[in-house]
Amino acid sequence: MIVHYVRLEMVRLLRDPGYLVMSLISPLTMYLVFTSLDLTGESGHGGAVYSMVGMAGFGAVGAVMGSGVSIAEDKPIGWIRQLRLLPLRPLEVVAGRALCAMVVTLPPILSVCMAGAVVNGVSLDAGQWAAVLALLWVGIAPLAVLAIGLGYLLTGQQAQMAGLVCYMGLSLLGGLWVPISRFPGWLERLATATPINRYGELSWRVTDGGAPSLTGVLVLAGWAALFAAIAVYGYRRSARSA
Amino acid sequence: MTVQTTETASAAEFAGVTKSYGTVRAVDGLDLRLDRGTSVALLGPNGAGKSTAIGMLLGLLQPDRGTVALLGTTPAQAVRAGRVGAMPQSGRLIGGVTVRELLGFVRLAYARKSRAHAKEPPVPALSELMEAARITELAGRRADQLSGGQAQRVRFAIAMAGAPDLIVLDEPTAGLDIEARRELWAAVRGYAEKGGTVLFSTHYLEEADDHADRIVVLDRGRVVADGTSESIKRRVPGRTVSFDLAGPAPSLDVLPGVVSSEVSGGRARLHTTDSDATVLALAEAGCVRNLEVTGARLEEAFLTLTHAGPALTHAGGAHAEGGAR
Repeated sequence: MIVHYVRLEMVRLLRDPGYLVMSLISPLTMYLVFTSLDLTGESGHGGAVYSMVGMAGFGAVGAVMGSGVSIAEDKPIGWIRQLRLLPLRPLEVVAGRALCAMVVTLPPILSVCMAGAVVNGVSLDAGQWAAVLALLWVGIAPLAVLAIGLGYLLTGQQAQMAGLVCYMGLSLLGGLWVPISRFPGWLERLATATPINRYGELSWRVTDGGAPSLTGVLVLAGWAALFAAIAVYGYRRSARSA
Repeated sequence: MTVQTTETASAAEFAGVTKSYGTVRAVDGLDLRLDRGTSVALLGPNGAGKSTAIGMLLGLLQPDRGTVALLGTTPAQAVRAGRVGAMPQSGRLIGGVTVRELLGFVRLAYARKSRAHAKEPPVPALSELMEAARITELAGRRADQLSGGQAQRVRFAIAMAGAPDLIVLDEPTAGLDIEARRELWAAVRGYAEKGGTVLFSTHYLEEADDHADRIVVLDRGRVVADGTSESIKRRVPGRTVSFDLAGPAPSLDVLPGVVSSEVSGGRARLHTTDSDATVLALAEAGCVRNLEVTGARLEEAFLTLTHAGPALTHAGGAHAEGGAR
């Protein structure tokens, strides 16, 4: 059933391609600007790789937050309530909608990685490329679930503000712009507990020649469980008012 | 009136149900049992608690007190099993999809349930569904670009897509023109004639009269009248007869059909359940001067059920609009 729901929401999304295009413009621009300014503090290839992962992740966060806003906008027209009256489990609806939100992250992820390879000459072996792209995509799942949870709980305007806080604030705190090793010690420790830092870390470990850490994966899984509970609660609650 | 059926479980049952929003009691000790195979109208002005009652029946709202049963189980389970179809109040359709795509998705959501429970009737084919809801010619149109009447028929088709035992329609004709109303009711009647149970809410006595076997009148969250449309119409003045008075007011309240009356500015206004009889009696008494017969506003009519008496005129807007949506 989840497949039918994802297909319906994807049809809606693809008939509004402007949204997909917008979602890749700012991360792509920022990537190209950041790498030419050497903001990461690592010069040359290391900096280009770090920023590529960071800005691809940043674009992905922005894309999922946008999905939260479109859910909030579905509420006043009664669509969420209508879904609630169909024989669908709340978890199915939440998972389906999160999957749709994840699809929207593909344009920024792919475009920033392509810019990394073509413009900044990032060179990774084929296995690393595959792993980085896969982890950038799969790893966004907890944030996608958070974003749609915010969409169910908040009004369109509130979701926009909350999305902006997560997009800018959590991305900055998570080290997507500047490595957290350049933060003061206390802030660095705080950052390692955030989902976005652990999301970026999945791929940075691969570009450094290693593999994702178990701790990182567990922290992300914990956030995912919490966000899923919030989203299911929000979905059930949102049908009351509209 | 009681309709006895051989079914053991009722279609829906409210027992001592209360629901408040802050200090406003939207539904106040509601006891109501709906029998299967009947069409029941919930009639009442804005803020009467119709939408709140329906929200609890569909499991969208939790009662503060009391219990609600739907098709012999809890509302949540009946909805999850796909046994109830609903057309909530004032919804619009989503953009970006055609009517066929939208309805196809809804139908598939129900179809999987009916496969899982072999006892359940199969869901209708998409073409059959569109024909029953009179939307066949809209199949390729974008769902958000339909007229009000067309959109309501699509929403009705959504409610019907799972071959439900019960459909719940919350003010289905609000904002529709006469032609659109007629088409929607024709589709609803098609479902009722096949033995389906219908619960709908409305502001219009006439609509309840035409399409329900039983009318339940709600006011401020309570049932103030419950019966066949004949028995309700005997108690609710559906018309107002007004005319200019030539002299001192005669005793107006004893005229046939008149439930209450008022006199102001040399003009009498009679609230009547039988305007024909009232007018005939006025004619016999030689009182026909600048005579006018109008449909009474429902708010006024309901007040006669709750506080009969001369308070009829000014209290129409006094009902709490307690966020009953």
